[in-house]
Amino acid sequence: MGVTCVYSYPVPDGKSGQAVVEILQRQIELLGALRSGHFCVDCDTFQSILQTSINVQPKTVYILHNSEQPASCFAITDTSLCLTADTLFDGLMHQLKNYYQQRKNAKMEAKGQRYELGDFILKVGSASLAGSFKGIIVEVEYCPCMVAVDCWGLMKELLQSVVGSVADQPPPILKNRQDELYSPSITVSQYLDIFNNFRKLSATNQIGR
Amino acid sequence: METESKLKSTLDQIEHINQAIRHTQRLRTHVCQIFRDIGDGLGEAAKSEEEQQAQERQKVLLGSLRSSLETVGHDIGELDKVGQTLVPVSPSANCDHVSLDPILDRTPLYSQVNTSYKRTNKMHEFASLAANILSQNALKRSPHQHPAGGKRVKRHMNTASMVPQAVVDQLVATLDRQHQDMRITVSRPLGSCAVMQMVLGRVLKAQVVLRGLVIEWVKVKGINEEFSTENGKVDIWSKSRYEVFQKISDHAAAAMLHYYAPFMPDIGIRSFTLWLQGYSNLFSAPCHKCGKYLQNAMPPTWRDLRNRDPYHDGCRQ
Ligand SMILES: [Zn+2]
Repeated sequence: MGVTCVYSYPVPDGKSGQAVVEILQRQIELLGALRSGHFCVDCDTFQSILQTSINVQPKTVYILHNSEQPASCFAITDTSLCLTADTLFDGLMHQLKNYYQQRKNAKMEAKGQRYELGDFILKVGSASLAGSFKGIIVEVEYCPCMVAVDCWGLMKELLQSVVGSVADQPPPILKNRQDELYSPSITVSQYLDIFNNFRKLSATNQIGR
Repeated sequence: METESKLKSTLDQIEHINQAIRHTQRLRTHVCQIFRDIGDGLGEAAKSEEEQQAQERQKVLLGSLRSSLETVGHDIGELDKVGQTLVPVSPSANCDHVSLDPILDRTPLYSQVNTSYKRTNKMHEFASLAANILSQNALKRSPHQHPAGGKRVKRHMNTASMVPQAVVDQLVATLDRQHQDMRITVSRPLGSCAVMQMVLGRVLKAQVVLRGLVIEWVKVKGINEEFSTENGKVDIWSKSRYEVFQKISDHAAAAMLHYYAPFMPDIGIRSFTLWLQGYSNLFSAPCHKCGKYLQNAMPPTWRDLRNRDPYHDGCRQ
């Protein structure tokens, strides 16, 4: 486990998401990376039911799982506080259904191909909201390094050979925490950030229609 | 082509020699004739015959004598001429014909001798080159390897590998103080031999096994890896799970040999530690030669032994 950058890759007009994913995959294979299975990151949304007053917004908790840490469960509040627990926490959330209720049709998932290249792990996949395609996700992890500010130069060099100018800057979540010792919770926070952007986009699109 | 002309000149030579022999024989006959004529002389004829007759005979004798002398003179001139064309025979001339000898030609001896001569020559040349190179790199680290006569060296080796524990502890404490970004601790899980644990910033961990003040073994791992087995024992054998640190372990082993100084053992550890500290920018410094961060998905894993400049494994000189 090391420093990880997660980006959403824009789909150009007139191209299908699947076609763009295939182009990115070919790009990664040209670098010499080897396929090593699949990856999956999923996110459920829970909302508080009890409200002390009408003006107070309901509280939200996101529960995420990452196939890279299969025995862990990540809970992130809307104040971006992150709790890392083992998977028993899922059961606990269901016990709390009088306080927190799972939002229907809000499950987001990122799924795709996983690659290994030396000490790098690369992932390319598509993100979906309740089963419908929302965008493309590219993740690059450099396992030996634990401090983002140290290895940003070399990660940028690798990222730009795959996604080009999309990786001009570190992902915003990482940028704020690049001097910390890296932990898997930063990775899931980046996923949640991207998922929330996709949600907002699809919400404005629906209003636009 | 060459042998043909050689053969021709040899035949000419033989012809000249024959001519010279013939001329000599003729000269000899003519000279003999003259002496015989003179020996016969006028003799009895002069006593019995008339004065006039005797005078005539004398005239004839003198005439033949004169012509004989003329022939001898001519013969000498002829022999002289032939003699000048004769060349002295060089003693090596016969060796030239050895390779022409039909029996020797059929045996492969000549070419075999030629090949083995070349091989011996080449072997000699390589052996002297190897000896030259080996003498420049004295990497003998064990006192038992020294030949007899290296007594002085032997004593120094022993002092380097047999120092009191307190000296080692003190040196490690000094190194720990000198290098701000390095945490160096010492433990003795293997008896008297010290094991140094070095933690360099947030980049890497290294484990160095010492015998006295001589570095015996180096392993480098990532900052999130451990140098102990599951039951808490020190593990000096396992390698890092990351390719970068496996490579750096190899480089560190090379550096440990490079900095080895049997006469001033603490210098070896000091300079090795300083060199290892050069890895503090392992992930953040581009290669000094090509200016890039990555080569074959690896950062610059080599640090120059003199100035600690970062290089890719493929870019170092
Ligand atoms: Zn280079």
